[in-house]
Amino acid sequence: MDMDSVHEINRTLQNQHVRDFRSAGGKVVGYTCLFTPVELLEAAGVMPFRIRAMGHPETDLADARLSRFNCRFCRSCLQLALDGTYDFLDGVLESNGCDQLRGMFENWQYARPPAFFHYLKAPHLLGDDALDHFTFELGRLQTALESHFGVTITSQKLTDAMDRQRRIRRKLIALDALREPERPAMTGSEALEVVLAGGGVGAEVYEALLDRLAEVFAHRRIERPGLRLLLGGAASDEPALFAAIESMGGVVVADTFCFGARSYRPLVIDRDPQAQSDPLRTLAETYLGGSRCPRMVDEFDGRLAFVLEAIDGSSAQGVILVNNKFCDLHGFDNALLRIRLEDLGVPVLCLEKEYGSPADHGRLRTRVQAFCERIGERP
Amino acid sequence: MTVDVHAGIMDRGLKLFGMIEKLQGVPSDEELEGLLRLLPPDSRENIGALLAPEMREAGLVFLDMIRQWMYAARDARSLSPKKKVILVPFNFPPDLVHLFESAVPLTTEVLTTVAALALPGGAERYWEFMQSLGLPDHICSANSVEVASLLSGKDFLPDAIISAAPGACDANAKVHEFLSHYQGIPQFILEKPVDDTPEGKAFYSRYFRTLIRQLEEFTGESLNEDRLRGVVERGNRCTELYWELFEYRKMRPCPVPNLFTLFLSPVRFCMWGTEPGIRTLEAMVDTVRRLHEAGVYPAAEERCRVLWAYTSFYFNVSELHRWMGKKGWSFLADVLSLYMPQPIDTSTMDTMIDGLVTAAWEYPMNRQMGTSSMSRAWVADMVWAAREMGADCVVHCGHDACKQTWSVVSILGEELMNQAQVPLLVLHGDSWMKTTTPITVIQQEMEEFIGNVVLGKKRTRRKVRRRRPKSTPGPKSTP
Repeated sequence: MDMDSVHEINRTLQNQHVRDFRSAGGKVVGYTCLFTPVELLEAAGVMPFRIRAMGHPETDLADARLSRFNCRFCRSCLQLALDGTYDFLDGVLESNGCDQLRGMFENWQYARPPAFFHYLKAPHLLGDDALDHFTFELGRLQTALESHFGVTITSQKLTDAMDRQRRIRRKLIALDALREPERPAMTGSEALEVVLAGGGVGAEVYEALLDRLAEVFAHRRIERPGLRLLLGGAASDEPALFAAIESMGGVVVADTFCFGARSYRPLVIDRDPQAQSDPLRTLAETYLGGSRCPRMVDEFDGRLAFVLEAIDGSSAQGVILVNNKFCDLHGFDNALLRIRLEDLGVPVLCLEKEYGSPADHGRLRTRVQAFCERIGERP
Repeated sequence: MTVDVHAGIMDRGLKLFGMIEKLQGVPSDEELEGLLRLLPPDSRENIGALLAPEMREAGLVFLDMIRQWMYAARDARSLSPKKKVILVPFNFPPDLVHLFESAVPLTTEVLTTVAALALPGGAERYWEFMQSLGLPDHICSANSVEVASLLSGKDFLPDAIISAAPGACDANAKVHEFLSHYQGIPQFILEKPVDDTPEGKAFYSRYFRTLIRQLEEFTGESLNEDRLRGVVERGNRCTELYWELFEYRKMRPCPVPNLFTLFLSPVRFCMWGTEPGIRTLEAMVDTVRRLHEAGVYPAAEERCRVLWAYTSFYFNVSELHRWMGKKGWSFLADVLSLYMPQPIDTSTMDTMIDGLVTAAWEYPMNRQMGTSSMSRAWVADMVWAAREMGADCVVHCGHDACKQTWSVVSILGEELMNQAQVPLLVLHGDSWMKTTTPITVIQQEMEEFIGNVVLGKKRTRRKVRRRRPKSTPGPKSTP
């Protein structure tokens, strides 16, 4: 059963694949934000590792550097950096995903500097100026990787890595399609686990795993799925949260989470090989242009359309918008999404929660249960 | 269900400033007392503090500047031809809007400060309205209070918004985006690259020039070189006066009234490059010169020189700025008044626009938080300011919404001690709302810290081994 492989990958951060890769002399570089083109790392022969905290509840070391006014996801990640859990990383990519992530990285670099540290800066808007700017930043990242790891990222290697990512994304979207029937093939927490596993192994391993999972899930159906829910919002990597919500009589048939569907939609842009376009420009257009992150300040309509498309595709009956306490980006966006979705007649529940806090689940369960009852009573 | 808001900040502020317009000359203490009795208690003490006897003339000029700024927005649509009102954030040079004959700027955070400081009920009623729309309680009151007033439908709406915070502050960028979508107001965005290299600045220059083109299109008016030169020359005069005042801020005892730090910010955020802006700064310099020559200081001696690391508290200036003065504690600066402007070369259109780009780049918050490293830039400014102004301590007010500063304040504390041997007090409160932490609690915490750590240390001063900083950070833009 290949979900066992998924659980095994997600069980610890430094999983067996990471250990084997490093034992063979490979280098692993951590990153957090979705605008990081992992293809560049893959093309450099480096394993991209998505930094996460998997609901880690302790933050005592991080709290001495960040504050209780910073989101606990960032504090949990910093905790794992400061207590040495992330020492297996050979390098770290900072990104300006949000102000608090920036603070997390600054403290990481200040208190426990990694051997390789590069700051990938992404603009917050689209347009020609911003795309030129981001293309330039990707060039800087390429140079930094080549210089530090003593490698050359050829066009061919980069194109191959982009092809592989495109295939991976297609396979994840195909798995999503298995959640569309009345009896979905998997729960939302399982789907999230599958996506999370991709951040902890190399692309080649992951692609093979997805092939095996497609076979497993092709013939599987959930017994009593209950209400169909869409989960949106948060930068959260907690399958336990999904499971807690699903335990209240619903099934998460789609999500727009940073660690979920936002990480593989849209596809990597596929240029005509004859067009001879700059692959870095293509990556910039894919990762910035396709971003559904609320950090992009002029793209709310695109984010709303993304949610509506997910509702349509999954036949979701209600939407739960989640944000971690102190997350400004999702806090604002969820409020506006709620207003717009309710105007369209979509039932919405906004949940603000403390990251990685099982104590919060009781309160959340009560609210989700009431929400499910409300939807269930709708004519 | 939303909370009711009966009137917007602009309307209420205009009524208050309408009273100030009626004043003939500088009122005596008795006349002022009579006038203040007409005001509700919330406003009375703060307005009274702004017009304290030793700084009354400058206080009146300052309040008149705010009045003119608000009136310009109020009257914009009744003029022929009509002018457009553009809402700008505090981290953006309003000069760029003053450059257009057909546009006037309104600054979000300054209107919030008007509400917090001068309107009955303060900022809280707008804050509550914001919460009732479903927005989180950890967003920034600095901007969300005024934005709430605009969202309530009870206030006068701007024709456009300039959002200049992407890159420097998420909360600021998102609140203006929310307003734009909720009320259908067009939004122009100026990205702040978090990149201190020449390439980063070159991209900022591109974004800035794109913004100018967008504003030209929006207003239907091309940038006029003569008008630009006029604004920039007046801005340069403001720059001269700012640095003249800065020299006084370095003196012991500091002859600059504590509340002048509060006056400096709206000049920069609303009226830089205008005659009322110049008049306000001139009045401040004249007052300080007079106080210095007369040897006037609000207490028997100056006991402590306090630098504020970021924002301060603006809802009760009587019980903070004035209270500090009476205790012999000089309020040297906060980040909002430590904006270090530079003269702009007026030779050509390009040199002037380049100068405005640099000015915008160096605006408060952009300069510290919107950089490659929030901690490094902030530490560099604070260490420089602490040394330059001889601060005995630095206070971080701990505005709870400010996730950027909260995430690197531990580094600031360590580096201030390492590089400048100056202790940092970290408070917690909301800069614009009295209900988060009452002013009496803030006073108590400051008294304990200054009494025990700063003055206690002065009494038993030991020889401290001065560690040399790894690099000489010094701000990039001191004259």
